[in-house]
Order: sequence, then structure tokens, then C-alpha cells
Amino acid sequence: MAAATNQARIGRIGLYAFLVTTCLFFSIPLLVVISTSFKPLSEVRDFSVFQLPAQMTAAAWGKAWQSACTGTECAGLHIAFWNSVRIVIPSVIISVLVGSLNGYALSHWRVRGADTLMLALILGAFIPYQVIIFPLVKIFSTVGIFGSVACIIAVHVLFGLPVMTLLFRNFYVGIPNELVKAARVDGAGFWRIFLFIILPLSVNMLIVAAILQTTGIWNDYLFGLIFAGHNNTPMTVELMELATTSTGVVEYNVSTAAALLTALPPLLLYFFSGRYFVRGITAGAVKG
Amino acid sequence: MTGVRVIGVSKSHGLLRVLQDIDLAVEPGEFTVLLGPSGCGKTTLLNTIAGLDIPDSGSVFIGGRDVTNVDPSGRGIAMVFQSYALYPTMSVRRNLSFGLRVRSVQRDEVERRVAWASQMLQIGELLDRKPNQLSGGQRQRVAIGRALVQKAGVFLFDEPLSNLDAKLRMETRVEIKRLHQELGATMLYVTHDQIEAMTLATRIAVMHKGRVIQYAPPDELYERPRTMFVAGFVGSLATNMMTTRLSPGDPPMITLGTGRFPLDRYDFTSAPAGDRDVVLSVRPENVSLATSGQAGTVEADTLFTEPMGADTLAWFTLAGQRISARLDPHAARGLTGRVRLAFDLDKVSLFDPASGDRL
Repeated sequence: MAAATNQARIGRIGLYAFLVTTCLFFSIPLLVVISTSFKPLSEVRDFSVFQLPAQMTAAAWGKAWQSACTGTECAGLHIAFWNSVRIVIPSVIISVLVGSLNGYALSHWRVRGADTLMLALILGAFIPYQVIIFPLVKIFSTVGIFGSVACIIAVHVLFGLPVMTLLFRNFYVGIPNELVKAARVDGAGFWRIFLFIILPLSVNMLIVAAILQTTGIWNDYLFGLIFAGHNNTPMTVELMELATTSTGVVEYNVSTAAALLTALPPLLLYFFSGRYFVRGITAGAVKG
Repeated sequence: MTGVRVIGVSKSHGLLRVLQDIDLAVEPGEFTVLLGPSGCGKTTLLNTIAGLDIPDSGSVFIGGRDVTNVDPSGRGIAMVFQSYALYPTMSVRRNLSFGLRVRSVQRDEVERRVAWASQMLQIGELLDRKPNQLSGGQRQRVAIGRALVQKAGVFLFDEPLSNLDAKLRMETRVEIKRLHQELGATMLYVTHDQIEAMTLATRIAVMHKGRVIQYAPPDELYERPRTMFVAGFVGSLATNMMTTRLSPGDPPMITLGTGRFPLDRYDFTSAPAGDRDVVLSVRPENVSLATSGQAGTVEADTLFTEPMGADTLAWFTLAGQRISARLDPHAARGLTGRVRLAFDLDKVSLFDPASGDRL
């Protein structure tokens, strides 16, 4: 009896030791980045990266936001931040809404060739981006919107749709079709059923989809680099520029602050919407 | 008052023929039940009438108007679904009024109808609740209320009671029957439960494998089933189906074990010719213990008895076949060994063993 509890206790200790080690292993790089971002440049240069800042200063953050040089301009990341916002918001709204509309049509209405369409979508979700970048560049320059906000939004919507459609389709399959039938007998059409019955049922799913898309699009680098054009470069691209632009000394404190600034929005999103995320993922079929 | 006519409706899902050339006429004010086992096409037929399914061929008339290609909303129907299909995000009041608001009915008229329906179904105090705050029975009432407010000429019910427990099912059945009488509306009702069908219907259409096999009032269906399938499907106690021998003559005689029975009052569809095997269907309540000296009886061995309260179902073997009799509990008590059984020959049915059709 006592031996058994002792053994269990040792097991527990082992478990916690393992967890703490893993935790440290993953958080040390982050801690180093955070501590570096609050150091003055002299400390960064002269001391070990593991040393905590002796003199806390937010100067590096200010510089990263306002005046750090990215390429030939020295205005920090704040312009790119707003570029990213201008790209993310419409891309997320459009891809989520169109995805849910697609999912609704595919799951509750008889669409000719729906199965083939589903197969195409699943394949679409697995196609490597790199393969279609060049054709897309050609298409967009032919249409004449290459290198604009509209162009980068279109790209994000296009690449987001397969996954969004699958996500919503699988969610809507769980909603009994009788609900749609009842609404049809009540006289509601395709759009009214979508707006008044299906969308209100999908709040959690919309939030999950929006989180997925926001993080995905915010963190995108490749599309932003290629399609956004010089005046609309998103934060990730500018961050890269900032880190690789060197004028003499490498300002690691500014680079780390910039990296944190760029990573912050998705992180905050997770913090504030985590419960919806869990709720949406665990939400089952709607009963009766 | 609105009638419904279905003319030559067929529908296939791939190779499966779900509906095969269905003809059905529902008179105004009638309560027609579509009865059949699962997969017989009854729900598809109802959906076809509702406009939720489009037939491959044939036409549907509601109130004398060809609605074959009309949307469900334009058919003047209201429907109650098996899963209730209440809009989960709307309150009961919104659920009831949704269809009316879609049709832009005047606001005070909407309120009047909602009040009328909720009073009719006694759901007045539930109006501000959401569907997930209601019990199964309450949801069913709201679902019926949503159909009522439409003031439609035809009400369609798709197995509305199958998600309720036995007691509620009985109460709601009575409720639906009362509604039919008060509203006088035409009702079409799908169920696989023959008791529901028998108690509610003015006429029952028995369906099997995509066809309507018999369309008749409940008592006719019970007493004069057109096929072996109908005889076997209708009746809360399974009917006894026994292979017997039929010899023509005046009267024709059937032989069962040691007994020979004259069928002097049986209404043959065509006069029997020659000795042949037939299937005799005799319901348990038409089998009785013979009184001493009674003519036309047959010997059987007691198997066991099943007391059901008001009656006892007693099982016997007769010429190697099982037969059940619905007996008075007193008479059945202590029943053992060899007994003599008598049949009410006015209430038997004979079927051709090959085709299953009534003779």
C-alpha cells in the first residue's frame, strides 16, 4: 500500500520534471528574445544573450515601430502593420463568409457534381503553393491588378477557400437537413435560410475559421512578398527587411522587438478567443 | 377545403425505384395515413407532395392546381417533421412566426395567429423560450404550432411521434386527432406504426417497395386485406398465417389439421377451381376455445400463454404450425395439453401462396 503510493509519487515527480524541462526547452528562446528586446544596444553587444537586462528600456520597441530601417526607408514597422491589417481583415471576412456559403450549398442543396467538387476541393487543399505562383502572377498581371491590395486579398481568399469550404461543409453536414426543409416549406429561399438559420448556428465555427485564417494570413510571408507590391508589403516581409538591413552594428534588440511586434496580433487573438476556439472545435451536431 | 391528387408519380435513386407509378387521391378534409415499413417510399411520397422532392415523372395536384413544379412554399401546405426541425437559435415565438414574416404577413395578423396557435396547443407560456429549453413533447407541440399558423389547406406530418416516449405519443396522437376535427383540414400523415395509422386515419394507404398496395379505411384494411403483406403488417397482434388446403364445392371447404371448415360466406374474388394450397389468415381474436359439442372445430396442442392484462395470448400448435388466440384471461388460466379451437370463419382471409394476393 505505502510502496504503491510511494511509487506513484516518484512517477509524479518524474512527470513534472519532464514537463518543466520541456517547458523550459521551448520557452528559453522566447525568453531570450523578450529579454533582448528590452536591453540597450550596449548590453546586447557586451554581455551574454542569457543575461537579463540590467537597464530595462523600451527604446528598441520604439525604434522597431517608428524608425528602424527596412531597406532604404527608415520608418519602422508601423506602416507595414497597417498594411497587414488592410490585407488581413478583408481576406478573412471574404474567405470565411464565402467558405461558409460554399459549405452550406454543398451540404444542404443538391448541387450538380457535388462529389466531384468536393474531391477537387480536397485536392486543392493539398496543392503546393509554389506550383501555381507563377501562373497566378501571369494571370494577375494580365488582369492588371498585380501588386495591389486587391491582388494579395484575392490570393489569400483563393488559397483559403478549399480548407474553409471543407471546414464548413463538415460542420453543416451535422445540421439536420429537415431544418432546411422546414424553412423551405415556411417559404424561405437559399439566401434567407443561410442568413437567418444557418449563419446564426455557425457563430462558434465562424470564430474558429476567422482565427485560423487570421493567423494564417497574418503570418504569411511568401504571398505578401510576391503579390502585395511595394506599397502594401505586410509586416512579415518588412520584418525580414528590417532584420537583414545592416548599417554597421546589428541591432539585435530592435530585431527581436520587431519580431515580437509582428508575432503579437495572432498571439493576442488566441488569448482572447481561446474559449470560442475550443467551443467551436468541440461543437457537435445541433439536436432537434 | 383542399384535396390532394397524386397521379402516376415515379422516382428513382439510381437503380433503386423508390416510387413506382403512385396514384393517390386525398379528399378535402380527409386524414390519410401513409403506412409502411422503413424504406417503402412513404416519406419520399410525402416529400414529393410537399415539393421537397421532385418526381421523375407524374404530377401532383393540390386543391385542383398542378403544383408538380411549384416550390414547397407556393403549395399551400404546412409540414411537421420527425426531428421537429425547430430553428435552434430562435425563440418559440420567432419559430412560429418565421414563415409568416417570410411571407410578409401583417404584423398584427402574425400576432393574432401566434396567439391562436399557442392557445390551441397550450404553449403560451413557452413563447419566449429557445427550443433547447423545451422537452420533447413541448418541441413537438411547437412544431405542430408552426404548421398551424400557416392556416394551410393541407397538413403534412412526417412520423411526428416517433421521437416521443410511449405515453406522450398516445397523448399527442389524441391531440392530432382533435386538431383534425376542429380544423377540418386535409391531413397526410406518414408512419410505420400501424396503431397510429389505425387510430388516426380516415383512410390508410399501405405502401410496400414503392407501391401503394391498398388504400382503404382502417376497418376495411383490417378485415379485408388485399395482400398477405397488408394482413401481416396491420394489426397490433400479428395475424396467424397458416398453409391450408382449399377444395372447391358448394360451399368450398378448407382443411386444417384434423378439421374441415365450410366457407359458405367467404367473398371470393374469383371462384376457386380445383384443389390447391392457400394461405389462411386468421386474427388471434377470431380464434376461440371450442365449447363442447360445437361443430367445425380442430384439435391443437397448447404451447404457452402470454398474459397481457385485459386478454391473454395463447399459443398452440396445429398441424405442425403455430397459431395464437386472444382469449379471456379466465378461460386461458391453467390451459394445458390438447384443446379444441374454433374459428370465426366470417373474418378470415385467403391468399394465394405464390402471389400473396387475396383470393
